[in-house]
Amino acid sequence: MSEPAPERELHGREPMHRPWLGALAAGGVLVGLVVAFADLPDETAALPAIARRAMVQTLPKFRTTEPVSAVVYGFRAMDTFGETFLLLAAVVSVVVLTRTREPRRGFMGEERAGEEEQRRVDRGGSDEGSRTAREAEAEEEGLGDAPATPDDEPLATPAPERAEAMTVVTRTAVRVVLPLLAVAGCYLVSQGYSPGGGFPAGAVALGLVLLVHTAFGYRRIAPVVRPVVMEAVETVGALAIIVALLLGIPFAGSFAASWVPLAPEQTLRSGGILQVFSVSELVEVGSGLVIVVFALIGMRHDWAPDPESDSSEDDR
Amino acid sequence: MILVNYVVAAVVFSLGVYTILTRRNLLKIVMGLSLMESAGYVLLISMAYRRGSTAPVLLKPPPGETERSLARGNVADPVLQNIALTAVVIGVAVTAVLLTTVVRVAQHYRSLDADDVRGLRG
Repeated sequence: MSEPAPERELHGREPMHRPWLGALAAGGVLVGLVVAFADLPDETAALPAIARRAMVQTLPKFRTTEPVSAVVYGFRAMDTFGETFLLLAAVVSVVVLTRTREPRRGFMGEERAGEEEQRRVDRGGSDEGSRTAREAEAEEEGLGDAPATPDDEPLATPAPERAEAMTVVTRTAVRVVLPLLAVAGCYLVSQGYSPGGGFPAGAVALGLVLLVHTAFGYRRIAPVVRPVVMEAVETVGALAIIVALLLGIPFAGSFAASWVPLAPEQTLRSGGILQVFSVSELVEVGSGLVIVVFALIGMRHDWAPDPESDSSEDDR
Repeated sequence: MILVNYVVAAVVFSLGVYTILTRRNLLKIVMGLSLMESAGYVLLISMAYRRGSTAPVLLKPPPGETERSLARGNVADPVLQNIALTAVVIGVAVTAVLLTTVVRVAQHYRSLDADDVRGLRG
């Protein structure tokens, strides 16, 4: 820590841990992997028994024409179930890690007292640079004297463009593209070749939300992506998955067995349990990803005081 | 030669290992982990490939193929494709948790250098 960090980065002499030892270990891993991979079946080998079984049994068992979906939501339903709850656990960890201090039940005013103390520690208002920075930040967050929605701003307004929303070109483009993408996402989950596609459609849902966020700013999307709303939606998705799979026990004899009556293939309802599972998965994955992304975006500035750059004589 | 794909997966994985072992910047360590995940995707998808194969979809077989030849193995392996899909979702979840931790570490220690994170050292 003798020389300042930016200098190290600029001159490309980033500090590393014993590069030769790392190279040796990575080289060892490489050799081991290549030796192991040389024995893997190549592109002329017959499909393994499990894959052949999936190909043969997909149609009679699930009345669907897409084996991959049948494997995800049918043959390996238990694995997908576990994976979903791994995703849920990750979402919960992110939410817990990013959550800011909030008033608890039986709030005594500690938070306000803490803010007071924080301000005394920060002494941010005292120096010119940090006050300008703070004002610029408030301006960017839309707390300045900007109109309520960016659409109210007259065209050809001079720069600077604010982070609140992008230019009219981007906003119009997003307005045009958004419904198309939404339809594509719905098509992925409902029809495609056949049912299935909850995971990719969930990612498409996140894409839609992020497009709106980038183009129109956080305030326009906030009512939808508030944690209260999204956490409820995610819980509903998780509950739907649990209920759909549990109902297999009374109706079909085992957990995650297909109990939904099978419709003819290539229709909206074909696949039985696959379609139910996939739609619940869309709700769960879409809302989970939205929660994670907005939790990361919205992490409060919660810095520990910097002993080097802050005025150190009156810090503790 | 599908072996080339396997070797590429091994090389990408080893690059990830090297990054994690030698870098001190926490963000780069997370990037190294992502590299290792990507190597897994490459390997799974390459293992699912069969020469002259088609997608594992039970529609009409492509010209020159019969249903019988498809069942014999001229489709890509659906099980491995499914495992790749699972791996992508897990990768996203793990990366999100790691990045959140990195942001918190940066806020707490005011540094991204793994050597400065010494809170647990006795």
